[in-house]
Amino acid sequence: MGWLWGFFILVLFFLLGEAIRVVAGLPVSGGVIGMVLVTLKLMIRGDITDSLASASQGLISVLVLLITPGVVGVFFIADQFAGEWWILAVALVVGTFLSVATTLWLMNTVAGAEKEGAGHD
Amino acid sequence: MTERSDWLSPVMEVWLSGPMLSIGLTLAAFIAAQWLFAKLRRPLWMPPVLIAAVILAVIVWGSGIGFHQYEQGARWLTVLLGPATVALGVPLYQQMHHIRALWRPILFTLPIAATLAAGYALGIAWLMGASPLVMASLAPKSVTAPIAMGIANQLGGSVSLTLGGLLVTGVLASLFVEWLTRWLNITDERIIGFTLGLNGHAIATARAFEISPLAGAFSSLGMGLTGVFTALFLPLAFMLVS
Repeated sequence: MGWLWGFFILVLFFLLGEAIRVVAGLPVSGGVIGMVLVTLKLMIRGDITDSLASASQGLISVLVLLITPGVVGVFFIADQFAGEWWILAVALVVGTFLSVATTLWLMNTVAGAEKEGAGHD
Repeated sequence: MTERSDWLSPVMEVWLSGPMLSIGLTLAAFIAAQWLFAKLRRPLWMPPVLIAAVILAVIVWGSGIGFHQYEQGARWLTVLLGPATVALGVPLYQQMHHIRALWRPILFTLPIAATLAAGYALGIAWLMGASPLVMASLAPKSVTAPIAMGIANQLGGSVSLTLGGLLVTGVLASLFVEWLTRWLNITDERIIGFTLGLNGHAIATARAFEISPLAGAFSSLGMGLTGVFTALFLPLAFMLVS
């Protein structure tokens, strides 16, 4: 039962995130707001309970399971976009390749420069 | 045949009256996919989510349950995506000292890379004459599923097509990160993790957690920041363009 309290905390922060999303009119999902809030709460507290750690570890390990049902839907709409599938394919393959390459190059360059310039800070 | 359907139809009826059949099928497909994935020596191009989705699509279509019915039941599982997204804050906190050490490159890279993650694909699709529906569905392709569904709705895209684009992007991002880091000789797990999460959301983050908890934390960070940034920026940019 150790994880139950932690799961409750996660649900609570999700509800809080949803509330903030609606009240503030943010186009961000309640889950993301909750994630930011949990991180901030833990940073202020300075440590984490075993219960929250095991609840979050459990949920993260089944993240793929939770996404799967949505992905199944793709196979049932394929014919709707039959005329444009090659545009989608090229845009996804080339676009993803370019953006991965850009991110890696940017991070590597900036982090490398940071390491060299660290002595001046 | 009639004898068979005599007992089969009431059984199917009672099974389909609740969500448990959908849940059971999803769990079975997930476990089978994990097993197959390990058996096939963990091929990067075919992650468990793709294997599980193919198995489920075949069962749902072949058994006559139908996607709509399946989805109704599976919603009992997918609601957990909410607290699961919140849970990503925990590894973020646990790895905070690593993130602090790298905050400047992260803040510098994020707006550029997150914009380009959507921008490259949109530019290519636009050049090739894609319809507005496809463009709107493609736009949130690098964003984690719950946020992307919201963005696609807001832009007037198809949520299912968005999820398809998300899946392909997640798989490709894992693959390309593997190739490119080897080719560019990048071994810093923080950079690898951040790139995975920024470009390939939860699917690539699952991959990052396979590499190490450190890579996983940076992937969660990249995914979270890209989600927030894109959710705020994309609807605005779309409004200005159209």
